Amino acid sequence: MNHGTASIERAETRLAWLLVAPALAVIVLVSLVPIAVTGWDALHVHDLRLPWLGRPFIGAGNFVEAVNDPRFRAALLHTVAFALISVPLELVLGLGLAVMLHSATRGRAFVRVSALLPWAIPTVVAALLWRFMFDAQTGILAASFRTLGVVGPAFDWFVHPLAAWLPIIAADVWKTTPFVAILLLAGLQTIDPVLGEAAQIDGAGPVRRFFTITVPLLAPALVVAAAFRMLDALRLFDLAYVVTGGGPGSATEPVSLYAFITLMQRLRFGYGSALSITVFLLTFAFALVWVRLLGRSLTGARS
Amino acid sequence: MGAFTRTLAHRSAVVSSRPVSLVLPMAGALLLAALLFPICWMLAASLMPESRLFESRPLLPTAVTFEHYRALFDERDFLVPIRNSLLVSGLTTLVAVPVAALCAYALARLRMRGKGLVLACVLAISMFPQISIVPPLYLILRELRLLNTYPGLVLPYLTFSMPLGVWLLTGFFRQLPKDLEEAAMLDGATRMRALRDVVLPLAAPGIASTAILTFLYCWNEFLFALSFTLGPDRYTVPVAITLFRGRYQVPWGQVLAATVVATIPVALLVLACQRRIVAGLTVGATKG
Amino acid sequence: MPRLIAHATGAALGLLILSGHTLACSSQEATTRLTFSGSALGPEADVVQRQLARFAERHPEVRVELQVTPDSADQRHQLFVQWLNAHAATPDVLQLDVIWIAEFAAAGWILPLDGFESGIDDFLPASVATARWRGALYAIPWFVDVGMLYWRTDLLDRAPRSLIELRQDALRVREAKSARLGLVWQGARYEGLITVFLEHLAAFGGGILDDRGRVIVDDPAAIRALTFMANAVNVDRVVPSSALTWQEEQVRFAFQNGEAAFMRNWPYAWALLQDESRSRVARRFAVAPFPAGEGGQPAAALGGAQLAINTRSAHPMLAAELVAFLTAPDQMIERARLTAQLPPRRSLYDNAELVAALPMPLEQVRPILEAAVPRPATPVYSELSEVLQVWIHRALTGQEPPAVALQQAAREMRAVLVRAGLSTEGPTR
Repeated sequence: MNHGTASIERAETRLAWLLVAPALAVIVLVSLVPIAVTGWDALHVHDLRLPWLGRPFIGAGNFVEAVNDPRFRAALLHTVAFALISVPLELVLGLGLAVMLHSATRGRAFVRVSALLPWAIPTVVAALLWRFMFDAQTGILAASFRTLGVVGPAFDWFVHPLAAWLPIIAADVWKTTPFVAILLLAGLQTIDPVLGEAAQIDGAGPVRRFFTITVPLLAPALVVAAAFRMLDALRLFDLAYVVTGGGPGSATEPVSLYAFITLMQRLRFGYGSALSITVFLLTFAFALVWVRLLGRSLTGARS
Repeated sequence: MGAFTRTLAHRSAVVSSRPVSLVLPMAGALLLAALLFPICWMLAASLMPESRLFESRPLLPTAVTFEHYRALFDERDFLVPIRNSLLVSGLTTLVAVPVAALCAYALARLRMRGKGLVLACVLAISMFPQISIVPPLYLILRELRLLNTYPGLVLPYLTFSMPLGVWLLTGFFRQLPKDLEEAAMLDGATRMRALRDVVLPLAAPGIASTAILTFLYCWNEFLFALSFTLGPDRYTVPVAITLFRGRYQVPWGQVLAATVVATIPVALLVLACQRRIVAGLTVGATKG
Repeated sequence: MPRLIAHATGAALGLLILSGHTLACSSQEATTRLTFSGSALGPEADVVQRQLARFAERHPEVRVELQVTPDSADQRHQLFVQWLNAHAATPDVLQLDVIWIAEFAAAGWILPLDGFESGIDDFLPASVATARWRGALYAIPWFVDVGMLYWRTDLLDRAPRSLIELRQDALRVREAKSARLGLVWQGARYEGLITVFLEHLAAFGGGILDDRGRVIVDDPAAIRALTFMANAVNVDRVVPSSALTWQEEQVRFAFQNGEAAFMRNWPYAWALLQDESRSRVARRFAVAPFPAGEGGQPAAALGGAQLAINTRSAHPMLAAELVAFLTAPDQMIERARLTAQLPPRRSLYDNAELVAALPMPLEQVRPILEAAVPRPATPVYSELSEVLQVWIHRALTGQEPPAVALQQAAREMRAVLVRAGLSTEGPTR
């Protein structure tokens, strides 16, 4: 009997690996191998426009250059600051939207579609939209701010190094709040309503109920949402490229955009690879931390 | 206190909180308006004549014109990027979803060692910043003469569509009743037969969700399309819109018309499949 | 250095061998496919198609194809570099921006055109200078763009003769409220900004690289130039801050709607400004070279395009014939008439046909052409320019003082040259 079960298990495992193999092969070929090659290229000089330089090995030379590169350091700062500002905003607004979706009794489909549309449209479309709305000549938001007296009559949002961040952040928050809301909605739907009613009978107001019951029970979903959003925010590219191009100067340039400019415009593949690897290490380190937290909070919630 | 009194107390508690219960719908409505306004404005502005757009005080459109849409298709041949996007997104979905489904089935329903490791790998890879794999992919595609071709985009797109598919489908397969295949196999079917005749039909909604989400992600993808296409004949929609330039400027009217056109298929998909999409997103998040 | 000479020799030898080979085979070739790649925006597309068709008529065994490229010059540059770095054999003939020639020549991607040396004197010296790398000629000028100062003849008596006058005129017009803006120029963070900066530089007697190839953007003259620009935007406010996001068309709109007294732009704008159905300043403007400041000269940034031949082209001799055809006087006059792009042949400016074909009066254009100032011809120009663009834009948007910005820019630019093995700095720097 044991012998039979063991061979069935072996057959099953063989089948399992057979089924897993194609996907795994593709993933390894198109993701892992390129990352390794990027890492390798980062250790060389490789400039597509200067073929006479060859491709000599320079060890950590590119990384040293990166560390000493003020534009790269600034880009790192921009990326982290952007993540730290937009993600909490998205979590808060997403939570609000989720609560609304949850308690909506009529027009659920309409609400859901309206919430999904911003998330579903291409990022560059959202970027162009927000750029258009803040444009000094044609933008309705720019005109409204001028009329309200919030800014001067000659103010141009894209010329001010800090103000230029607002359209980018607005576009990101607008686009991903629905995504966060949907993630949190699933969590909300698993909360037993009896808990809320019990607290209500004990005299707790809706606000108090929200903070003492809903939020703690939503913690796992919040952590998941925060993790996904943080990772995406650290990889910011599309919005910055389209809304401001990194300007004014390089004041709104995130790390991915600087790496892209170095690679595809300056065609410095060696140095650009070093920058890309640094972005990768940054997100990887962050992901490690979060997966730990995620695992812990999920197992904690289950128990 | 009897049950009756308790119910009374409950009711009065509900009544006294009614003013607060108005805040929620109002805040919600505000949020919804904020979400929808830019899209409505995009539509309205795309119908405004060029001269109106450049006036310093943009107001509600009094004149409606289709000149931008006409220019989009006549002068710029916007059908080409649409065709490219459809082909690339469709091909990627067709390749990624079946392969990912097989893998996900194994991970969800079969016994094997190293399952957790494979899943962790898949998750980790989906977190790679795209820019990190652009340089070698570019050089490899160039060597293979695949730059500016359809396969030359499908291949890079697999880097995110494959992990996404595996992740989502594993979640969906896990939700199926445990003893499904056992019942079929007890009747004498092989595991593969059971998979085809019993599991797949039940997993179909999940597979549909995955396919829709994969298609959406491919349609919206920008960085790879920007890096691996070299000319207007192979630009996808996001790239074509962004690179719309006259020699010296951004023609806002046409750009807005293009964004509307780019949004329509997405909007239709969302309208038709919003439940599927939500199902896909939530399974991706709540799976342990 | 020796490597580059080896490169050039290799390329020349290659051309000789290839030309011999092609001459031997040409009698046996059936239909040869020749590919041309360049900008085809608006009227340009029409003219290019016509002229390519005419060439095909004269060479029945040849089929000439136009290879489509993106609209923007930056995109086209990226594309060309990627193609040529991948050793593509097409396009055979490329239209290159003047600032790309040294780069492509040094990388060995375009052929030296010794066969054209004999007729080259007819072309504008400044244009020819940008076509040379290490003494050899690598491209033939096709059309010329020069930066012009457009000024409103109804608001001012004459063109300003110095930068001080320009500033005063702009202030006066703004004060009198005859125009909302004083002066507009391209201030977005792109190559156009460098052309504006170049004119200011020359106006103060400065430059980007000196004739030994050393970086001089941190010289006092350059700092004075950038300070003038920054003051114009942030202190005097004769230039609107929005201009720092404008490229050529937005600048043109501002002038065309009558909002500005002065505009710095390219010749293409002339015909559009004269169109009475759209322009509010038709027949009420003229052009002049950008005036000089202290210690400098009036200047016009030199732009335009040139034609070059792909080193890996399968038909270099035929490609050379196409280049010769397209740069012939007749084709140039036709182009001038249809696209208002100025021809680079000096003799044509005495030609009555050209005078009639050009939309703008010759006596206004001549002094501008004579004041043409090229950008540095170096293989790493794009990278140098990008560095400079970022720092200039930072200074203009008030993020850095001009002196600091230029010093930092110069430091980075020198590093670029060192890295490329092109630095000519002595040990004293």
